[in-house]
Amino acid sequence: MDIIPQLVANSIIAGAFYALIALGFNLIYGTTKFFNLTHGVIAAIGGYTVFFLTTTFGWNIYASAVVGVFVAGLVGYLLEKSLYKQLRKRKASQMVFLVASLGAFTALQAVIAIIFSSQFQTLSIGSWDLQTFNIFGGIITVVQLVTLVSAIVIMIVLGIVMRWTMFGKAVEAISDEEEVAKVVGIHTNKIIGRVFFIGSAIAGLAGILIGLDTGLEPTMGMGLLLKGVIASIIGGIGNVYGGVLGAFLLGFIENFGIWKISGEWKDAIAFGVLIIFLLFRPQGILRK
Amino acid sequence: MEYLIHLGILFTIYAGLAVSLNLIVGYTGLLSVTQAAFYGIGAYTTAILMTDHGVNFFLSILIGILVSGLVSLFIGWILSRFKDDYYALVSFGFNIIVYSIFLNWQSLTRGPLGIPGINKPELFGIDFSRNINFLILTVIIMAAIYGVCAFIVHSSFGRVLKAIREDEKAISIFGYNTSTYKLVIFVISASIAAVCGSLFASYITFIDPSTFSLNESIFILAMIILGGLANLRGSLLGALFLILLPEILRFVGFPTDVAAQMRELVYGLILVLLMLYRPQGILGEYKL
Repeated sequence: MDIIPQLVANSIIAGAFYALIALGFNLIYGTTKFFNLTHGVIAAIGGYTVFFLTTTFGWNIYASAVVGVFVAGLVGYLLEKSLYKQLRKRKASQMVFLVASLGAFTALQAVIAIIFSSQFQTLSIGSWDLQTFNIFGGIITVVQLVTLVSAIVIMIVLGIVMRWTMFGKAVEAISDEEEVAKVVGIHTNKIIGRVFFIGSAIAGLAGILIGLDTGLEPTMGMGLLLKGVIASIIGGIGNVYGGVLGAFLLGFIENFGIWKISGEWKDAIAFGVLIIFLLFRPQGILRK
Repeated sequence: MEYLIHLGILFTIYAGLAVSLNLIVGYTGLLSVTQAAFYGIGAYTTAILMTDHGVNFFLSILIGILVSGLVSLFIGWILSRFKDDYYALVSFGFNIIVYSIFLNWQSLTRGPLGIPGINKPELFGIDFSRNINFLILTVIIMAAIYGVCAFIVHSSFGRVLKAIREDEKAISIFGYNTSTYKLVIFVISASIAAVCGSLFASYITFIDPSTFSLNESIFILAMIILGGLANLRGSLLGALFLILLPEILRFVGFPTDVAAQMRELVYGLILVLLMLYRPQGILGEYKL
């Protein structure tokens, strides 16, 4: 059997998942200019919310998913209001932001593990789970197809919003210089709060889809976050399309990289790529 | 009593890790999150040499220092091109790459199975398999490490490090080659971490990759930030507190596995609160 079509399919699927993480991460980074390390654990919160609603209350998966996306967005919004906004007020350095978000990440991950145990959990969409499509010899499941479509749709919508709406222009202004944006009358905290809600909600969607595709673990956040960060940096940090491009590139490099060696090396390959990019092309493929 | 000795040994080992990391983060102002990688290199060197090759423990410490020194020379050389949050991110990456090597180079490290049956040393007829003797050994070595670190930070070399932290450009105008200083302190710190790793491997007699993951590096970072950046006594305080924390939680009545999660929750929250209200830690002299 020819392995190439499946490798291509796997690369695109991995790329779609990374793209969803990178889209939200990049949006938040583009606005606030710090590495929001809680982004991955917010994806896990989205997934676990759905797990909780479907198993405890027997909710149907689609209604739970809507709530899951909303809860993830809300947690991101509350983190911004209770923590990051306060740090901005104190004119904290980027390292302080980094350590604070590292702390918040550790704490939230522990909370998930305490509530849901460290066990591996899976989500299900009933009979759709086993439905697969064969595209040019590569097998792809319904969830993976949904992921790919959502990543592309969200990218296009975000691209349009950023380019053509007042909200997009306000974000752009804050990204250039927050103080100046404030002076010209933009409610910067309100805009940043919305950015956190939207970015975190996208992460929540990613977490739910990953729960359907492979499953949920409390520690899933860090791995996801780092892939999102790497994708954003190699694609072009702060750039909507750059993050998605980087995500698919990362998907291909990882999957073709492990063609001849064991799959356990994926993370090492991803970081190797990141370091090479940072050394030789730190602005990424698409400059902002 | 045995139990107190056990905690004493763990505390001294972590004190060494914390003090050595403080040289980089506190004194030089570089947010390195990869100390567990060098800790692991020391541990694996001792474990492999003692179990497979019958090498003496004390000789294995020296070889561990050498291996860790060489690896850190390479990693530090690459890291010296970055600063602030990118420095932190790349150091994350190196921790994950080294962890992948522990996990996947199975012919050398036995991968996830780990290496059991590591011996305790004997010297001058003193048998260090008695815990009280091992505690004395670790205390002597840690006192030496503390002495070396105290000497470094109070020397003219240490003053240059602090100057780099405060204003790298200014100090380089005075003719100091700042990259060399940053590289030297990185290698020294990594070598000390390797000694801690050798002691840990011999004491616990079994090691596997999970001890040397990114989480462990975050844990060590939390110790020095809590205790205080650029203050060696602060690092001892931070190590003491975070080593005792799970014991306190168990004492309060949490079951063991929940106590482990609670520890993560507590130190995550500590990081967040410190960043909000006291970014230099309890005894610290430097704010991130």
